[in-house]
Amino acid sequence: MLAVRQTLAALGVAALCVAASAPAAQETLEAQRAAAAEPVDTSAFRRDPPYRIGVSAGYLSNSWVVFALQHIRWEASLHPISEIIVTDAAFNPAKQIADIEDLMQREIDLLIYWPVDDRAIEDTLSRVVERGVATVQAGGGFNDHPGTITSAYISQWELGEMVARRLMEDLGGQGRIIAMLPIAGTTAAVDQLAALEHVLQEFPDIDLASVEYGDWNRARAKQITENLLQRFPRIDGVFSPAGQMSIGVAEAFDEAGRLDEVTMSPGDEYNGWLKWVAQHGQGGAVTFPPRAGQVAMQAAMRILAGEPVTRGIQVPSEFIPPDEIGAHVAMDRPDDWWATALPDAFLPN
Amino acid sequence: MSVPPLAETLAGVLARHTAMVMLLAIFLAAVMVSDAFLDPRYLGNVLRQAAPLGIAAIGVTCVMILGGVDLSVGAVISLTAVVCAVAMNGQPEALWPAVALACAVGLGVGLVNGVLIAVTRVSPFILTLGTGIAVVGLAQIYSGGTARGIVSPGFREALNLRLGGWMPVLALGFLGLAALGYAVQRWSVFGRQLFLIGANPRAATLAGLPVRRVTIAAYALSGLFGALAGVALLARSGVSGSLSGQGMEFQVLAAVVLGGTTFDGGRGGIPGTVAGVLVLVIAFNLVNISGLSFHVQLILMGAIIVLASALYGRLGRAGA
Repeated sequence: MLAVRQTLAALGVAALCVAASAPAAQETLEAQRAAAAEPVDTSAFRRDPPYRIGVSAGYLSNSWVVFALQHIRWEASLHPISEIIVTDAAFNPAKQIADIEDLMQREIDLLIYWPVDDRAIEDTLSRVVERGVATVQAGGGFNDHPGTITSAYISQWELGEMVARRLMEDLGGQGRIIAMLPIAGTTAAVDQLAALEHVLQEFPDIDLASVEYGDWNRARAKQITENLLQRFPRIDGVFSPAGQMSIGVAEAFDEAGRLDEVTMSPGDEYNGWLKWVAQHGQGGAVTFPPRAGQVAMQAAMRILAGEPVTRGIQVPSEFIPPDEIGAHVAMDRPDDWWATALPDAFLPN
Repeated sequence: MSVPPLAETLAGVLARHTAMVMLLAIFLAAVMVSDAFLDPRYLGNVLRQAAPLGIAAIGVTCVMILGGVDLSVGAVISLTAVVCAVAMNGQPEALWPAVALACAVGLGVGLVNGVLIAVTRVSPFILTLGTGIAVVGLAQIYSGGTARGIVSPGFREALNLRLGGWMPVLALGFLGLAALGYAVQRWSVFGRQLFLIGANPRAATLAGLPVRRVTIAAYALSGLFGALAGVALLARSGVSGSLSGQGMEFQVLAAVVLGGTTFDGGRGGIPGTVAGVLVLVIAFNLVNISGLSFHVQLILMGAIIVLASALYGRLGRAGA
């Protein structure tokens, strides 16, 4: 218990260090990387197998998290895990708190989670850690709160930067672009826009004509783009890291007869977007890997073995050029599917 | 001093067609912001954008004329869009059976709503909220969280085809269903019964009207139109997610109320609903096309909706 409290104290200091850093994009990113590299002594969380793992899902109603969960299950099948208990908070922060408390009642050895709202569950996670159960965040941004032992995180900023740089390269550094971002105020939207604006500082001949929020909704992205096509007689490029929205954007251009004028940025590995890339030979993908679930489970196993981990384990995004999309797209699968290395037995059904 | 006859006539006309006046006002405002609203192709886009919302709103209008409400329509849209896509399975010959299956599912949910409301007299608000939550659960179980299914080849292309180079087939479908709904409302016995029962349920019962049958039929229609809206959404945006209709119930209610059909029952109608739908869609497009920042767009859109409903209220009272 003393070791747990000491660990919490160390994590709290690290959190304060990060919280005190300047908000500038590059400095924040570097501070985040430094904080993520901090080692964590997990000896207090060591348990003997077999393990019972709790998964508190903030939501399970989108295909990405479903794939992430299947990656968790796949990795779990390789370890001495007696049971995986999954709860679904269905976007209700209060329910997620109750779910976590229920999982603790069922005497789990470790908690993997992705939040509805980070702040809403911070106190609950701290109590979980105080009771000697480690917590691992899967797939969100880096979280340095003391209630999270480690995060298998994907950097939306770095993803956004990769997408922006590819778009600049494809545009030759000049032209008018629009940005289609997810739900306003989310980490994804904020960080992707920050990354884009950071990259644009190096390309003064690029005009960011409009920043729009498509809510990860294909129909909404299409509707907004139809309006943008009326506003702007020419749009040279689209910054849209989310493939689901990119399809809607591209459809609007196509139906307006203006697909030839525009260069689409890479989207993610959403299968519908990969199909579009395979058909049109442009855009490519910068991945938002659902295997973050697998990385989270791997970290969980190290923690339960008492091995050290770092505060954050980045699941890197990778660029897939258009001419290599064929190896990743599944033309016989639905649009709402993700390129994956999951074995057939673990594919969602 | 008495009101001049011409002013009285004008006030009466405005009161009877308040929703259309409201639509005209916002359309004129939109034209002042952008001449895109005078482009037939763009107007075709607007109608197509409005199609899923508008089709769902037609069914909910029937329920609300009756004095009820249907909060399950968003969930029905989500479920039927996925069911339709899965049933199509990328096969051209499966297109019509898939659409029929989706309609059957929507109709089934509506029947459940209607029977429970008619027999148990539970508040429609609570009951349809509950069935909506249950249908969301069903959609998640059925889909497993991923929107499975591949639409039949040609399905989306056919519904998005522009007749005359400007009018999308999907938009025509919306207008056609609206016309059908209006015909039922205006000239059918069922339509008249909706108004009579909605105006005074007790009197309708005492007069021997088949209140339960009409209630069940109205909710079944709402479910059916919800399913058609799911098919329309599938045509518009493909298989994008397992909760594609989430939140649409509130947009539907806003459109229906904005169009003059209130929660009190016994008044309103399809033409007003269509106007309400178009007011909402044009308002969104107006602020979006104006180039204002996102958050200012939200404020402005809210203000437009408030002003539109205030205008509606004022004109309605002026003609009373």
